[in-house]
Amino acid sequence: MEEESDSRKINNSFLRDHNYATEADIISTVEFNSTGELLATGDKGGRVVVFQREQESKTQPHRRGEYNVYSTFQSHEPEFDYLKSLEIEEKINKIKWLPQQNAAYFLLSTNDKTVKLWKISERDKRPEGYNLKDEDGRIRDPSTITSLRVPVLQPMDLMVEATARRIFSNAHTYHINSISVNSDLQTFISTDDLRVNLWNLEITDRSFNIVDIKPANMEELTEVITSAEFHPQQCHTFAYSSSKGSIRLCDMRLAALCDKHCKYFEEPEDPATRSFFSEIISSISDVKFSHNGRYLMTRDYLTVKVWDLQMENKPVETYQVHDYLRGKLCSLYENDCIFDKFECVWNGSDSVIMTGSYNNFFRMFDRNTKRDVTLEASRENSKPRAILKPRKVCVGGKRRKDEISVDSLDFSKKILHTTWHPYENIIAVAATNNLYIFQDKVN
Amino acid sequence: MLGRGVKRKWSCLEELELLPGAAVPEEKRQNLAAGGGHDPSMSRLQQRQLVLSLCVEKLQHYQAGVELSLRRSVLLINTLRQIQEEMRSDGTGTCTPEVLLHGVDPDSYLLTDDMSVTCSGCAEGDMESLSLSPPASPEPASQDAEQQKPLPTAVSNTLSDAGSAGGYLSDLALDDIFEDIDTSMYESSDLLSAWAAGSLWPVTSSLWWDEDMKLRPAGHSSAGSLQSCLMDLNELDHIMEVLVKS
Repeated sequence: MEEESDSRKINNSFLRDHNYATEADIISTVEFNSTGELLATGDKGGRVVVFQREQESKTQPHRRGEYNVYSTFQSHEPEFDYLKSLEIEEKINKIKWLPQQNAAYFLLSTNDKTVKLWKISERDKRPEGYNLKDEDGRIRDPSTITSLRVPVLQPMDLMVEATARRIFSNAHTYHINSISVNSDLQTFISTDDLRVNLWNLEITDRSFNIVDIKPANMEELTEVITSAEFHPQQCHTFAYSSSKGSIRLCDMRLAALCDKHCKYFEEPEDPATRSFFSEIISSISDVKFSHNGRYLMTRDYLTVKVWDLQMENKPVETYQVHDYLRGKLCSLYENDCIFDKFECVWNGSDSVIMTGSYNNFFRMFDRNTKRDVTLEASRENSKPRAILKPRKVCVGGKRRKDEISVDSLDFSKKILHTTWHPYENIIAVAATNNLYIFQDKVN
Repeated sequence: MLGRGVKRKWSCLEELELLPGAAVPEEKRQNLAAGGGHDPSMSRLQQRQLVLSLCVEKLQHYQAGVELSLRRSVLLINTLRQIQEEMRSDGTGTCTPEVLLHGVDPDSYLLTDDMSVTCSGCAEGDMESLSLSPPASPEPASQDAEQQKPLPTAVSNTLSDAGSAGGYLSDLALDDIFEDIDTSMYESSDLLSAWAAGSLWPVTSSLWWDEDMKLRPAGHSSAGSLQSCLMDLNELDHIMEVLVKS
């Protein structure tokens, strides 16, 4: 997609598709698959809902590939850890798709402790004419069977079924915060606060610990791992971010245990902005490689940073997401919002980055034109098929008509999870228990 | 076994009232909080005090049966450490033992810790091994399943953590604190005397699960040296209030 048309679209022309209200539960993760045909959401209740894009139809060109529910299944159930007398939440923390290799779709979904591989397949035929049982499934009396027949496949209504093909469990003492599929399509990593484990997709009773930052004495613990991701092309490289604002790039070829990093990315702290909250707001909540594999993007509480993999001492770009919150850190600390973990995402061409904020706002930054826009995901403020209006937060002084003042922001409405279609300008944004899908307008 | 509350001396109370910001009342706290980081009306000292009390409150508050987020706990503790460092370099604060232990009910710690950390109700025979035994770990499948570790009680977990917490909060003048206190009741139990000798702040005990905590030597590495307490009197009082939920 051309950069020029990208920037034009960002500015003012996002068409709002109808929104899907997922009823009971708060959406905890959203992810497009590698072709963009499917969109998966996970929620706090352990369910996964998969949407599929409609085939574009010539008769209704304005309904350009809308997303409809394709499959819904219960991925994880709440569990009880008897040893610690603690509940294990069924909330889906992350979903990652595997690239499609046959007619079925595969995805990995994880809660705090267990990763599962799900196969989603279609069934549109069923066998009829069994010998030993009749059509209702009742066993036939063998003495009544006088001849044999070959069962025949008959068409039936399309059924989409999800089956758990692998369950990768008992490898994490702490809470899993991320999973990442390797470009070799044979392995994946699961990451908790202190460890990164490498799995083979075929083997569930063994995993290989490749990063372990647990100190011998837990009292010395000052830093945890917040996210990890494989490099999109180099199957031996992965990166993990920390609660202290640093990113480590590791090469699995160097050693079995990747405690020594290859590269260490950290920006020195600006002493002028130091406060009691400096460390908390420097904690990285998400790390994403660019599609071309040359850059890393990190999200901390107030900014999004783009790092060139060749330069470790500072990011090449820093974008302020909601700097007006800097003066409110104390209140945000008190109401715990300062611990919110926002995700960030690249568009298909790596020219635009997007991340969420409060008040159901989300922000997009064009890396080339340096222009940015704030948009809102809410039913009240936009009608279906209307173009989203850019929003603005007033930071002091006179508030203009359409602006919203910092004190009026609703901090309970946070957009933590967003995803971008791999090729097109289609984004999915989770606002608490609502899913919004936006597309660029049809020209 | 309930702790016998130690009565605060009147002079101590007077001191508290004289100190600015003593037992920060709710509305004042809200004003401070609303002021945010750059509010000129809130001095750095006031903000520090507020953040400190919030820190402790957050560390102590948890839902029973729900595991704490390690990331959040680590960030809170690091903030607490940072404030303590600053206070130490400022040279502020002395505490009196009476204030520190006002209304302290050791059982309240143990009970609340119990909820979030270990399986409840496990009993052990040997008292000494109790204080030393590590929690049985939820070992990953790859580890040796035959390695049996005795199940701890909540108390022992608190202790072993408290003992090691002593290393973490070693600057608290623990000997100093306990000088004036009549611990005859505590001494009747090995457990509680060990607890009393350890850190007063079982802050880390409930915060994270140490799956392979090793046996610790009986002599806890708690602070032996006399150093001045880090907390201001008024902060301590507030903290005590929070902890005891009086």
